[in-house]
Amino acid sequence: MSSLTRRQFTTTAGVGLAGVLATGIPPARGQQREISYLCWNNFAPASDKKLAEIGQRFTKDTGIKIKIDHINAEQQPAKYASEVQTQAGHDLVEMRMHFPWLYEPQLVDVSDIVADLEKKYGKAVSSAQETAKVKGIWRAVPQYHAMFVATYREDLFKKAGLKIPDTWEDLYVAGKELKKMGHPVGIPINQNLDSISTAGPILWSLGGMEVDKDGKTVRINSPQAAEMIEWYRKMFRDCMEPEVLSWDNASNNQSIQQGKAGWIHNPVSAYIVAKQMKLPTADTINHHRTPGGPNGRHETDAPRHIGIWKFSRNVEPSKEFVRYLLGRPETYNEYIMSGDAFNLPVYEKLQDHPVFKTDSKYAALKSEGVQYHAYGWPAPPSDKVQLITNSFILPIMLAKAVTGTSTKDAMAWAEGEMKKIIAG
Amino acid sequence: MAIGSVGVVTASARPSLRARLSELLDRESWLGPIFVSPALVLLLLLVAYPFFMALYFSVSNAFIGRPSNFIGIRNFVRLWESDAFRQTFQNAFVFCGAAVGAKVVLGISLALLLNQQLWFKRMIRGAVLLPWVIPTALSTLGWSWMFNSLYSVVNWTLLAIGIIDPPGPNWLGQKYYAMAAVIIVNIWRGLPFFAITLLAGLVAIPKELYEAAEADGAGPIARFWYVTLPLLKGVLGIVVLFSTIFTFSEFNIIYVLTHGGPMNSTHLFATLARQVGLETGRIGEGAAISLYLFPALMIVVWAQLRFVRKQAY
Repeated sequence: MSSLTRRQFTTTAGVGLAGVLATGIPPARGQQREISYLCWNNFAPASDKKLAEIGQRFTKDTGIKIKIDHINAEQQPAKYASEVQTQAGHDLVEMRMHFPWLYEPQLVDVSDIVADLEKKYGKAVSSAQETAKVKGIWRAVPQYHAMFVATYREDLFKKAGLKIPDTWEDLYVAGKELKKMGHPVGIPINQNLDSISTAGPILWSLGGMEVDKDGKTVRINSPQAAEMIEWYRKMFRDCMEPEVLSWDNASNNQSIQQGKAGWIHNPVSAYIVAKQMKLPTADTINHHRTPGGPNGRHETDAPRHIGIWKFSRNVEPSKEFVRYLLGRPETYNEYIMSGDAFNLPVYEKLQDHPVFKTDSKYAALKSEGVQYHAYGWPAPPSDKVQLITNSFILPIMLAKAVTGTSTKDAMAWAEGEMKKIIAG
Repeated sequence: MAIGSVGVVTASARPSLRARLSELLDRESWLGPIFVSPALVLLLLLVAYPFFMALYFSVSNAFIGRPSNFIGIRNFVRLWESDAFRQTFQNAFVFCGAAVGAKVVLGISLALLLNQQLWFKRMIRGAVLLPWVIPTALSTLGWSWMFNSLYSVVNWTLLAIGIIDPPGPNWLGQKYYAMAAVIIVNIWRGLPFFAITLLAGLVAIPKELYEAAEADGAGPIARFWYVTLPLLKGVLGIVVLFSTIFTFSEFNIIYVLTHGGPMNSTHLFATLARQVGLETGRIGEGAAISLYLFPALMIVVWAQLRFVRKQAY
């Protein structure tokens, strides 16, 4: 065996290092297949634990290491923006609602994965199609969704002999009684997404919309919007308390959990947390499907998807993980079950999933006859529609109206703001 | 022979590398830039680069992850058409004016108090710094609970001592109360900076000046007006300058307490820039919001530094 001189060693190492630095590819022996996945802190923490467990099994079965990071939902936009701007960061990212539209040029086409999943599980639900399929190409893989339902104090309704509201007008009738009993209705009217999640379905149920499906024509100054404002005005006066003007996304949950609110509109997380924390109100809370109106029954849905950044050097291993998590029925099933009905399956053939039967109070989640949409529907989720949503024009219009601005002026203000955004 | 001898002389005259380096470091013209360069590199990387990037973004139609084009000052013009932006502009001046004004008055008062001979003086001075030391997001969460519509300890206290009637103000739900709430928290947070810096200025004022004024018959108010305040002007100018910049660019308090609501009544440039630039991806517009006041603030900084320099010399 010939010995290596110091000069030979230095030359070989130098050339090798220069090659690695120039190509950016480590030698085959040093390559460790490793991917990273950034997702939110799920409101059902058990599902994050399950995800970590599945990740470990994935590593064991495939030899691909996976690092899963979690951040709060509110930090996602800033984090994603920095990853895209620097073209560095995670390989896989969780995409809430219309994120795939915002980051479209940066996301890998995952239509092949979705086609396989749809073959197995049926079509993805409409809200997932609206948000993850951008101009005919799947930019993210639908993972699960969490929709809004009506969460109410069953004991109070029984005590007062109140009818479960089938329409928003029914809610007004029940709400008046609830407020008299000291348990007002809790619908936030403030700059947060929950406020839009309720205002949207009410507007849609009356046949109204913010922007038409062409994505250009502003439709907020309409008789339907005026009707919605009048409904909010009387609800605010007779069924709610002024505190809703300062509420954040968590306030309605807290209000019903602490025994104050008699009715809120929220995903089942309010009940899940009350149950986990063994709060006395857990036994008294139940759900019913979202009320409807003359134009049907609509509900805000928050679909979540998994996307892969184009700058990732591990596109194939990343796709392998998505297939492992969502494409194997037993693994996907296990993951969905861990979410305690907060994370619901997002494919049509799975709409009779056992997770709906884990608690009798989840029956309302199988909301038959309800149409699910993302914010801004029926307009396609462009960046302009996203800016209308993120500028909270709808709840600000309502807040103005319930605090003294005339319906006409409030609508004119909202129309003006929306038109400026669309024109910009 | 002669050549050889010259060669020997030259070799022995050449100083060693160490000696040459040492000689070089003895020269101020070299040493100064060497000492300054690490800070300069850091400034270039961490301040100048992001700043110029932001300047470029503000005059472009930059959208996260997409190619951008130069559009001149269109972002700045278009922003002025937005009601949310005009409201934010107004909020920024109300917020900054009220908060900095209150901090000046309360800061001087607190500094004068801390300058007295007090029991546990060091402990009190340390405690005063607490709001400044605690991470803002954390302390603001405490305030968020205190102003909470369901469990407001502020309302509970005011009701208990009979100052207000039930149910009390909806602190974060009514626009004037919400603005008052964020101003109160900003004052609480920024007061220690004023008090401690002004205290340092107070301590530096020679006692002889007070003794001379007292001998001339000056009372406490006259001593404050004719001795303390003129000699504090320099420090006060610097503190007000820094505080104005910090207060205009406030983010945490608004983001945690109100998210800019209700009805955009508490939005400041930083929170609106985040909403537009990061949450919606329109970083060009977001950068323009952040930089809207930059020219005006530059003039304020220039004028204030000029004033301070005049005071110092």
